Amino acid sequence: MWNLYNKRIRMMKNVLTALLLFSACALAQPGPTSVAIRNVKIVTVSGPAIEKGTVVLRDGLIEAVGPSVTVPADAMVIEGEGLTVYPGLIDALSTWGMPATAAAAANGRGGRGAAAAAPAEPRAWGPEDRPQTTSWIKAADVVQPNDRRFEAARSAGFTTAVVFPTAGIFGGQGSIINLAGDKESNMVLVPSAGQYIAMHTSPFGAGFPSALMGVISYVRQIYLDADHYQALKAAYARDPRGMKRPEYDRALEGVIESKRILLPANRWTEVERMVRFGAELKQPTILYGMRQGFDPRALDHLKVKNTPVLVSLKWPEAARDTNPDEVETLRVLEDRAKAPTAPAALKQAGVAFAFYSDGIDQTRELERAVKKAIDNGLSRDQAVRALTLSAAEIYGVADRLGSIEKGKIANLVVTRGEIFEDRTKVEMVFIDGVKHTPAPEPAGRGGATTENRK
Amino acid sequence: MKKIVLAGIMALAFFAHGSLRAEVTVIKNATIMTEGAKGTVKGSILVRDGKIAEVGENVMVPEGATVIDAGGQWVIPGIIDCHVHIAVDGNMNEGSVSVSSMVNIKDVINPEDIAIYLALAGGVTAANVLHGSANSIGGQTIVLKMRWGKDADGMIFEGAKPGLKFALGENPKRAGNPQAGGAPGTPLRYPSTRMGVEDTIREAFNEAIVYKAEWDKYDAAVKGGQHPISPRKDLKLEALKEVLEGKRYVHAHCYRADEILMLIRVADDYGFKIRTFQHVMEGYKVAKEIAAHGAGASTFSDWFGFKMEVFDATPYNAAIMQKKGVVVSLNSDSENGELTSRLNTEAAKAMKYGGISREDALAMVTINPAKQLGVENRVGSIEVGKDADIVIYDKDPLSEFAKVQKVLIDGNKYFDRDQDVSGRAAKEAEKQKLMEREKQDAPQGRGGRSPQ
Amino acid sequence: MRRPCSVASVQWPVVLALAACVSAFAANDTVLIRNADVYPVSGAEMKGVSILIQDGKIADMGAKLVAPKGIKIVEAKGLRVYPGMIDSGTELGLSEIGSERVTNDANEIGEFMPQLKALIAVNADSANFGVVRVNGITSAITYPAQGGRGGGGRGGAAAAQYIAGEAALIHVAGWNWEEMEIKGSAAMQLNFPLIAGRGGRGGGDEGEAPAAARGPATFTEAKRQYDQQIQKINDFFDAARQYQKERSSNVVGFKKDLKMEAMMPVLEGKEPVAISASRERSIHDAILFAEKQHIKVVILQPRELAKTAAELKSHNIPVILGRTEALSENEDDPYDQEMTLPSVAYKAGLKFAFGTFNNEFGRNLPYNAARAVAFGLPYEEALKAITINAAEIWGVADQMGSIDKGKWADLMLTDGDPMELSTQVKGVYIKGKEIELTNHQIELYRRYLARP
Repeated sequence: MWNLYNKRIRMMKNVLTALLLFSACALAQPGPTSVAIRNVKIVTVSGPAIEKGTVVLRDGLIEAVGPSVTVPADAMVIEGEGLTVYPGLIDALSTWGMPATAAAAANGRGGRGAAAAAPAEPRAWGPEDRPQTTSWIKAADVVQPNDRRFEAARSAGFTTAVVFPTAGIFGGQGSIINLAGDKESNMVLVPSAGQYIAMHTSPFGAGFPSALMGVISYVRQIYLDADHYQALKAAYARDPRGMKRPEYDRALEGVIESKRILLPANRWTEVERMVRFGAELKQPTILYGMRQGFDPRALDHLKVKNTPVLVSLKWPEAARDTNPDEVETLRVLEDRAKAPTAPAALKQAGVAFAFYSDGIDQTRELERAVKKAIDNGLSRDQAVRALTLSAAEIYGVADRLGSIEKGKIANLVVTRGEIFEDRTKVEMVFIDGVKHTPAPEPAGRGGATTENRK
Repeated sequence: MKKIVLAGIMALAFFAHGSLRAEVTVIKNATIMTEGAKGTVKGSILVRDGKIAEVGENVMVPEGATVIDAGGQWVIPGIIDCHVHIAVDGNMNEGSVSVSSMVNIKDVINPEDIAIYLALAGGVTAANVLHGSANSIGGQTIVLKMRWGKDADGMIFEGAKPGLKFALGENPKRAGNPQAGGAPGTPLRYPSTRMGVEDTIREAFNEAIVYKAEWDKYDAAVKGGQHPISPRKDLKLEALKEVLEGKRYVHAHCYRADEILMLIRVADDYGFKIRTFQHVMEGYKVAKEIAAHGAGASTFSDWFGFKMEVFDATPYNAAIMQKKGVVVSLNSDSENGELTSRLNTEAAKAMKYGGISREDALAMVTINPAKQLGVENRVGSIEVGKDADIVIYDKDPLSEFAKVQKVLIDGNKYFDRDQDVSGRAAKEAEKQKLMEREKQDAPQGRGGRSPQ
Repeated sequence: MRRPCSVASVQWPVVLALAACVSAFAANDTVLIRNADVYPVSGAEMKGVSILIQDGKIADMGAKLVAPKGIKIVEAKGLRVYPGMIDSGTELGLSEIGSERVTNDANEIGEFMPQLKALIAVNADSANFGVVRVNGITSAITYPAQGGRGGGGRGGAAAAQYIAGEAALIHVAGWNWEEMEIKGSAAMQLNFPLIAGRGGRGGGDEGEAPAAARGPATFTEAKRQYDQQIQKINDFFDAARQYQKERSSNVVGFKKDLKMEAMMPVLEGKEPVAISASRERSIHDAILFAEKQHIKVVILQPRELAKTAAELKSHNIPVILGRTEALSENEDDPYDQEMTLPSVAYKAGLKFAFGTFNNEFGRNLPYNAARAVAFGLPYEEALKAITINAAEIWGVADQMGSIDKGKWADLMLTDGDPMELSTQVKGVYIKGKEIELTNHQIELYRRYLARP
């Protein structure tokens, strides 16, 4: 009897130990080391689609992908019958995860709300006061991993975002982050991806700069100062003796640190202006907004220096409950009608472009917005590319992200049905090889409006 | 095979012939007020490659030329508006600081501003686009041609010297006035008096002199083979340096005689010239001094009564100044293109107020502003060698009864009233179509509620 | 107690002194104008005809008139005589300098202010009278809130004002307003509610107007407010009718109410209501309102005339048109929309007169008329719109508006067509008295032309 008792205790101990070990494992590594999705349709984006194949993930990277890949013995297997896997979607210019003070609507205008939330800075009397400038802030350093928008974004198939602080004129440096991770530092793919610049104007009587031309002259002066600053620092480094030390200027440090700049452009006239401006500043330039990307004049100017662009998913819409006596101008009507054709036009012209959320953070809205571009001449494949590999290429990370290829980061989205179709559901996303399932949709969501009747 | 070769040769021949042939237009059967040595000519104008090639009573029409038969109508040189705020994106004032010479209108040209088209409808072919008058020293300015349909770069009057806007009197003082209506607690911006405006300008040029000396020293050192670090380039002082070096014109908004005189003396002290006084409503009081300085005056035809500083405005201003030897032009100061589209009748008012002759009146909106902007070798009169900037009116242009029919810039037609009129129905139809489509696509019902 | 010293208060004695000098006119109102080409407007022109003026009225007109002994004779061979022009839209005498509120007596505070009389606030020595007189304008309607949206200040965000007071028809010369009065209660001015628009000019990315200035966010809310406002006006009229009943029935303890007293002539149909209504909806609802209240109306500045002309015609409502020298509302509208408006009115058979609606541009009344002719209005109709039509609309056609026996001798003598800019006005008569052709601006011209 004693033996039986000992046996039981030993068994319980074993079970307990096993449990402890298991839970320790569970805490240490979320999920299995290796995952295999088999018998699934694979849209690699980098090559032709694989009608039925297998993707193997290991240690957060894609280990193998192909029509006849062997499933490793230790892999957690996901049956992909009836499913499609795409590279995880990338929001190419995002404010998800940014605290309110650092963020403003990423529409190039800056936000009055953000200005109100931030502590009032002293009135600026010239460019020397470095007004509305926080160029040294990196999104990676201020990202809030508990931001609820990440979950909504993942539910729409997003795994990555290039997040920017967007307040003021020089908002700061964007960072490429995954939309999940066990700690902030794990989320960061690229800490500094570019400097966000907005033509943030102010009311008459506010500090410098208040008008658009003031903002442009300020940006110009900053880059002149940056060149001068670097020359002084270099000279000082060579031989400081007898030379007055150059004054530390974190605004310039931030700008110098940025490897490319983002400038806003919605109208074709703004595209012309900003392409020239970026060239004048001698900075690799990306334009964001592109509401009139359909206009051949915009396309012509973009082709001059092959400027890549980010297209806002916030399509212009007519306001509700407007005065029937008021007639919009032809310009505005044309913009509204043609804006969703911009992606197709950009594609046709061979201009590199990616989509960005422009403040949209609801799952369904994101999906609908992309669908609108597809309904207006962009193919689904092109839409997917604009949300994956194109974004990666524009930010210089196409060697590790943006398509389903061996060696790349295991960021994927798995759908039942073709992505961006009305009835399609996102089943799960993988971020660094870790599976995330979307929250169930709230009941009674049959309130889909009668759009997309085309 | 032979047929293809033959077709190819014929095609080549056709295209070669086409490209060898220059762009030639003849405007014939017109009463031409040339504003040049020939005076008023009843005849024709030959335009080749965007320039005026011939003007006369009997002009031969080359084969293949485009012919515009003016049918006895009137032709004048393209009108030049020496003071506008059209075609500007965003606020025309960088009103945050009293010296904003770092900002540049060239950065914010809006080629889609409908005011450009309205200007064309009024016969204007070139305009001096200025910063507003909120600052003692405002921003950099530019001259544009009204090439409707081109992009921003395409609108620039190539070769026209850039300018800098100054403003004297009530406007630049306003932001220093606590009763001006700014937000409570907004710090006041110096200056708030005419005394302060003078000081502000002098202070700025004092700084500019130091800046220029630094750069001159640097330039000399580089010339001498050294490699010093350049001084910091300061956009604000750079523009003022250009003024000191005569590379940038000064266009000064002003009203009262005392401030006009003040600025002349300041300019004398710093060794630069005021290119034009703008508005200059009391210019007639100091016409002698303006003429001696060599500045031009660009004023209104008959405005008055809207501010205290125009209390002594008189529509005879232009006539008096002209008689005292000042080069006078009449402008619109327009933001929306309304007055810009009526400069021919504004010019005619000079006949009424002061007995200016027809030619001299028209000169105030053609050759005179051209001289003031330093582009009189290019535009302002219909003379051989100048740009073919030409306007056709159906009646005597110095009359309210006349309408612009066609406008050419660089020999290309940019406005045609007949086409404008006949195109209206189509434009309206297009608009209706888009509005209908939007109504159909809109969610049903008001307030966004939709049927389940 | 020291009165606050403002710039304006320092200047006024000077202004008045100067203005007083130039408002004097010859005492005699009996004169013979000999051998002129007379354009009576009420009939065909008559060449080489004389006009006898006696006691301020036109006593006789004919080819061979003999002057009574001793009266002044004005030799007018080669000159033309026209009726003095009537401006149906001004605030002459009520406002001096636009930007200085202290000089402005229009736009009182208060929603319903029918008891206010523009007449008694008219400053006979306003510099503006001298300016318009010399260009042949002899009478004008001056409105208590010409800007249309009154209520305490120009463009201020004060409450809406519905009834601004009584507009007066005055001669533009006289020792005081009593002498200048033609009809002190010419019309009751009413600003009809309007659903404000966003304006149709775009193309640039201007900053948005602050929310408060933009008005209600939705049409539903704006329409509700609009309907409420119309109701308010109807309520006021109903209250006036009730007052009328009590007044005529000699109720014991009846108290005279000045506002209601002012409404009586309106209700009795003796005084028209001048309604400012520019958009189609407002015009249409204003017509309905007039029907409902059984009142006579004149509509001021109906811009959307094309859509409402038929309705206006069927109710025989006359209109006062604003300046043709103006831009259309929406950038897609034809650029000549405002200029063709008068011909639209004419083709629809409407009775209309012109108003300049800005003291500064009052002297350009004939040129606004001329511009309408350029864009389709028959010349004769344009001339009527600044003379006899105005007189008819304001109910004084028996006294003025044309050169006819028995009417006031309000005349202008010119050396040509008054609508041509090259024409000089050679003589002006108001109630038969010759007006000295000078003003502050002409005095300055003479003085400074003579500066050595």
